[in-house]
Amino acid sequence: MTIVKYKTNIHCGSCIKSVTPVLNNLDNIDLWKVDLEHDDKILEVTIDDEDKNSVVEAVKSAGFEIEEIQ
Amino acid sequence: MKEEYKVAGMTCASCAISIESYLKPQEGVIDIAVNYPNQSVTISYDENIIPLETIGNKVKEIGFKLILGTKEDTKKEFEALEAKRLATLKKKLIFAAIFSVPIFIMSMFLMGKIPYENWIMMALALPVLFYSGAEFYTIAWKRLKSFSTNMDTLVALSTGIAFLFSVFNTVNPQYFLSKGLVPHVYFESAVIIITLILLGRFFEEKAKSKTSSAIKKLMGLKPKKVTAIRNGEEKVISYDEILKGELIILKPGDKIPVDGKVKKGTSFIDESMISGEPIPVEKMKGSNVFAGTINQKGSLRIIATKIGDETLLSQIIRLVEEAQSSKPTIQKLADKIAGIFVPIVIGLAVVTFVLWYFLGPDPSITYALLTPITVLIIACPCALGLATPTALMVGIGKGAQQGILIKDAQALETAYKIDTLILDKTGTITEGKPKVTDLIWDKNAVSTELEKVVFAIESESEHPIAEAIVAHLKTIDTESVPIDSFTSITGLGAEATYKNELYRIGNESLMIQKEITIPTQLSVKANSLKSEAKTVVYVAHKNTVVGIIAVADKVKETTLAAIEKLQQMGIEIHMLTGDNEQTAKAIANKVGIKNYQANVMPADKGAFVKELQAQGKVVAMAGDGINDSHALAQADVGIAMGSGTDIAMESAGITLMHSDLKQISKAIQLSKATMKTIKQNLFWAFIYNLIAIPIAAGALYPINGFLLNPMIAGAAMSMSSISVLSNSLRLKNKNIN
Repeated sequence: MTIVKYKTNIHCGSCIKSVTPVLNNLDNIDLWKVDLEHDDKILEVTIDDEDKNSVVEAVKSAGFEIEEIQ
Repeated sequence: MKEEYKVAGMTCASCAISIESYLKPQEGVIDIAVNYPNQSVTISYDENIIPLETIGNKVKEIGFKLILGTKEDTKKEFEALEAKRLATLKKKLIFAAIFSVPIFIMSMFLMGKIPYENWIMMALALPVLFYSGAEFYTIAWKRLKSFSTNMDTLVALSTGIAFLFSVFNTVNPQYFLSKGLVPHVYFESAVIIITLILLGRFFEEKAKSKTSSAIKKLMGLKPKKVTAIRNGEEKVISYDEILKGELIILKPGDKIPVDGKVKKGTSFIDESMISGEPIPVEKMKGSNVFAGTINQKGSLRIIATKIGDETLLSQIIRLVEEAQSSKPTIQKLADKIAGIFVPIVIGLAVVTFVLWYFLGPDPSITYALLTPITVLIIACPCALGLATPTALMVGIGKGAQQGILIKDAQALETAYKIDTLILDKTGTITEGKPKVTDLIWDKNAVSTELEKVVFAIESESEHPIAEAIVAHLKTIDTESVPIDSFTSITGLGAEATYKNELYRIGNESLMIQKEITIPTQLSVKANSLKSEAKTVVYVAHKNTVVGIIAVADKVKETTLAAIEKLQQMGIEIHMLTGDNEQTAKAIANKVGIKNYQANVMPADKGAFVKELQAQGKVVAMAGDGINDSHALAQADVGIAMGSGTDIAMESAGITLMHSDLKQISKAIQLSKATMKTIKQNLFWAFIYNLIAIPIAAGALYPINGFLLNPMIAGAAMSMSSISVLSNSLRLKNKNIN
């Protein structure tokens, strides 16, 4: 289990509503949270395996920008 | 624009017709269809020509109320209005009864003993007619304007004339006395008729309001508060706020709010309301769960896939609603007769008037007034009003004595026509709870010792089958032993150590996985048990199976005989179940049912009832679960098991308290006997009329100068009521098997 952080443009409550179904539907993630207070709108995800890319794909499919923070 | 609205205030099918015929010619109204049982109207209209408010006002003009607004609002407003109507009806009924009883006692037993009796009775009758019975006169007046008649017309006409004639004779008794005629009063007939008819209406309305309480209970299956994970935090939200794709946390005992998919955790869920399957179903990652079912053990996180109106539960609610509203209301026999009877009586009265006026002796105008009035009073539907309700009341009472609760009189009126019966399997044919049916030990095993170990291990397990095994072992007084360790193996069974020896209890897969030998003798037994649709649990000691336990939902003891009897009565029987094919087949064979269907979803049960009804069959459905509620409501006669869910009982017209299928044939016999009594009652109600009306009109006058004495007219009316009552009471002593 690893915690991965991404920089996004998920900036408000309704953005969260739109990413909720896509992120919840990912099998390999357990918990996720967006820090709306942070300037970079950090999405923190607990991932079961090494497939970090699925998160990127999912968030992009919901119409947001996302970039992993190394 | 096409829209459906609720309409308040419709009391009969002809109210619906009057709304339709009033609105149809209005400019801008394209089409209109009124649904009386559903109390709604579907209007297509051009809103530029006729705005909705105008339509609403038009409906108001003819005495009804169109409820405008959103679906949820209208539902509430409509329910409130209906509740108010029932309350008003109750008030009017109580009022009528309080004032009628003294009038009845005075006229029947105290005639000539109380001073100013006519004046007292008049004063008592006034509120009954002008408050309790006011609606009869307004409806009769509206109908008169459209030249139609029904039971209301007959009630209004006869009570109105009886009252007016009695008032005339009270105020001015000299008029008839001076002409040698007795100025009789008929206050008691007027008020008793009104009271009895109001009583009938009250029962009918009450039955109607039960419909919505079944639906309310179904809606109660939705939890109010839900714990969801939003943006990484647990939040308690209300049911309405759940979004699609939301992650919801379910604790043991929680009702599941939405249809969803398990994301995390394992648990057992009681899905009996949907599948009818009595054993809770194990759920793990990826399994589907349904709204309204109950999480029994373990915590789950689910993703909401279907919310609100899309859930399976909402679909069931909608189907129940539709089934209950689309049920055709049977045309009341008495109403039908009144439709023919009223014009005939009025015609006879007119003819009587004309004949007496032109051909009668002096004072011809007096005779011409008196005789038609006597005709109309004699025609009073007192006994007619009693015919159906008294027989139904006795029938319902008799049913209750035998453990057959009849909530809906219509069920009793229809049951004798049943030619097809659909039975739900679980809980109806069978007991509905898994029980140990066989406990077989290897001949070399020490069974008493093993039973103790099994008891100890299964007591630790959370699996529903384990519960059945524990319950069984308790009945044979098994003691427990202290086990050293216990491990549950999800989906397979459990293993434990006792006195440093390994024991395993579980299904065949567990035995195969752990490479445990199954002795041939036990393997043969297990296969034969499986073919009887029993669930087989293996008990292994070290590396060998030493015993097998079979668990199944047992067929009720009385089922076989009951089905045989119903088949002898010529009733075609079908069995439906949400269970698998093998179980369905085994049970159907066991109880002698040829037609059965397995893997049936709740909506399919209702659809099957509809299909049979479309073939012209009169269908009864017996079931016990929420999954049966749609079919119970759809069937001509719905029969719920007393041990079943409240919703099943609310949706059905008949509830069997003993949960015994034998009661169904009894209910049918009871219905037959009751209908026979109603028909006999109608005969008694009319025979006196048929004889008395011509005499009242003066048919015997030209022959022997005989004119009906109003006292005799009154006696004839009482006789017909007494005949009807005593005939109904005879039903009480009838033998029903």
